[in-house]
Amino acid sequence: MKSIRRRLTRELLLVALVLLGGGWVAFFLAARTELIEQFDATLRARALTLTTLAVREGGHLRLEAADRLGRDFSLARPRDFFEIWDAGGAPVLRSDSLEGADLHPPASSSNRGVIWDLELPRGRGGRALAVYFQPRIEGERTGPAGDGGRALLAVAGTREGLDEALTELQAIAAAGGILLLAAILWGVPRVLRRGLRPLDDLARQVSGIGADSLALRVDVAGLPAELRPIAGRLNELLARLEASFERERRFSADLAHELRTPIAELRSLAECALKWPDAREPSTDRDVLASARHMEMLVTQLLALARGEQGQVQARLVKSRLDEAVREAWAPFAARASARSLQLGLELPPVSAAVDPFILRSILNNLFDNAVDYTPAGGDIRVSVEAAAGNGARLRLANTVDAFEVADLPLLFDRFWRKEAARSGQQHLGLGLPLARTYALAMGWSLSAALEPAPSRLVFTLENSR
Amino acid sequence: MRVLVVEDSSRLQRTLGAALRKSGYVVDVAGDGTEGLWLAESHPYDVIVLDVMLPGRDGLSVLAELRRQRKQVHVLLLTARDTIADRVQGLQAGADDYLVKPFALDELLARVQALCRRAYGTKQPRLKIADLEVDPQARRVQRGGRAVELTAREYLLLEYLARRQGEVVSRSEIEEHIYDGQVDPMSNVVDSAVCGLRKKLGPSPLIHTRRGLGYVLEEAPALAPS
Repeated sequence: MKSIRRRLTRELLLVALVLLGGGWVAFFLAARTELIEQFDATLRARALTLTTLAVREGGHLRLEAADRLGRDFSLARPRDFFEIWDAGGAPVLRSDSLEGADLHPPASSSNRGVIWDLELPRGRGGRALAVYFQPRIEGERTGPAGDGGRALLAVAGTREGLDEALTELQAIAAAGGILLLAAILWGVPRVLRRGLRPLDDLARQVSGIGADSLALRVDVAGLPAELRPIAGRLNELLARLEASFERERRFSADLAHELRTPIAELRSLAECALKWPDAREPSTDRDVLASARHMEMLVTQLLALARGEQGQVQARLVKSRLDEAVREAWAPFAARASARSLQLGLELPPVSAAVDPFILRSILNNLFDNAVDYTPAGGDIRVSVEAAAGNGARLRLANTVDAFEVADLPLLFDRFWRKEAARSGQQHLGLGLPLARTYALAMGWSLSAALEPAPSRLVFTLENSR
Repeated sequence: MRVLVVEDSSRLQRTLGAALRKSGYVVDVAGDGTEGLWLAESHPYDVIVLDVMLPGRDGLSVLAELRRQRKQVHVLLLTARDTIADRVQGLQAGADDYLVKPFALDELLARVQALCRRAYGTKQPRLKIADLEVDPQARRVQRGGRAVELTAREYLLLEYLARRQGEVVSRSEIEEHIYDGQVDPMSNVVDSAVCGLRKKLGPSPLIHTRRGLGYVLEEAPALAPS
């Protein structure tokens, strides 16, 4: 399994090692170059001193202040060396410290000077500078003596000090590198662990959420800004999941409840008939049939709802007159409404819309059935249709209610929901409205409900905005 | 024994009423919580079979109101709700028993009978007074090992007196429990029934008249009040 921490650790270590290793090597090389340049500068300074002090006198070269120079280049201080050759290449002067040996200047020696590494007497390593110069003529303060008087000077010094300094630098670089490496190996995982702690916390919180604890939410306040959108979306998803689970749980419980009562009726009727066969009531068979029909209606509506929710209801839309459809659908309910002294208000101007006539009739049947049964006796039912924007249409059904509350609105389209807790012995199964909404969606329409105050009216709006 | 059935399913209400009547109970029925509460407040039922989900007023609310009024009537909750939480809630609300739909009719009858026994403080399935034995389950009566043939009404009267053996039972109590409370107060229907029952039970009378108070079923003759 891929791990962000492992990947980050690996890549951060690699980057840190490359950057710090490269920096360290660059630092070492710069320090080494600086040390060598300092050494070379010393050689040049000595060469300058010697060329300034070199004097040609009567065809011979000599050095002024030879005593002091002799001390600097004596055997007693075998770290500094020089040798001077005349224009013909014959050695004319050399320091005592050379002990008679030659410095062997390279052929490429020039007026600008050439620096090279060499082996000094007693097998010691050294570094030398060879430069052509024009010695002064005795008695003249300045001025060249002509090309024929040119001489070659080689100045050398042992590399022991330089090599010691370079070795020390290498040791320091190596020790520092090891310490740095250890620090990186120790520090990077810890820094990452601390940095990724909010992610771990989030993972821990999320792993604690299961099907039985969907009410839990991720604590967004304690999370860094990068994780908040994720946690926020997660919480929204959990809320939707919880609502969905709760709806399914309620549906299962409701379905069981809806089936238990007619089954109890059938079972009791059968057991009664078996227990007292001689005293069989004439109403028994009618009751058995009524219970069977009740269950049949339940199953039929549930199947219709399931098919609608699975998108298996195919609407065949045709241009139809909405007002006429309402009049036709209302006709069978008129007698029941009249028996309950319900006042009907119709506002039906000619409005055409693309509908599936059979589906629309089912929706209207459900809405009217509810309105006729649930409007308080003496209340009113108002139905209106109107054209909406584009080629859309809107149907509005409002009926007075007495115990309906705003809090009931979100539950209105839930399966098996009825305002009255008691469900048995009624014609309404609590499936009509969810079925009507599913049918409306199948036609590409929407069905919504709202509550109007004073007097309280439940308003259903069936509309198509296309 | 008088039982009230409060059930909003008319079919189930009819079936339960018929089954309980055939089992020898006097039965009243109600289709909603409000009517059920009114009946329960108005009559001394031995057992109430109460549906939980009722129109008007739900069963738990009816039960809570009865217990608030300190009614000691035994209540069997009958409901389609089967979760443990629902059962616990029902029992904690003061129910004596709980039965989930669908149920076996015999089980319901047995539970109602058990609640009736509890209503009269006995756990014995058979009622015995001297050599008289009443079997409520089989609705049979024996005296001295000999079967006694009784009409349904006589049996109900004997069972009621037997359940309250040793207690003085007033005529109005008998009317309430045996005759649905529909008896004319001036009629002597209770006295006639007691007289008929005495004859069928034979010599050595067990049902004694307590003049001005009612009747008592017991072995030894009750002493007249001084």
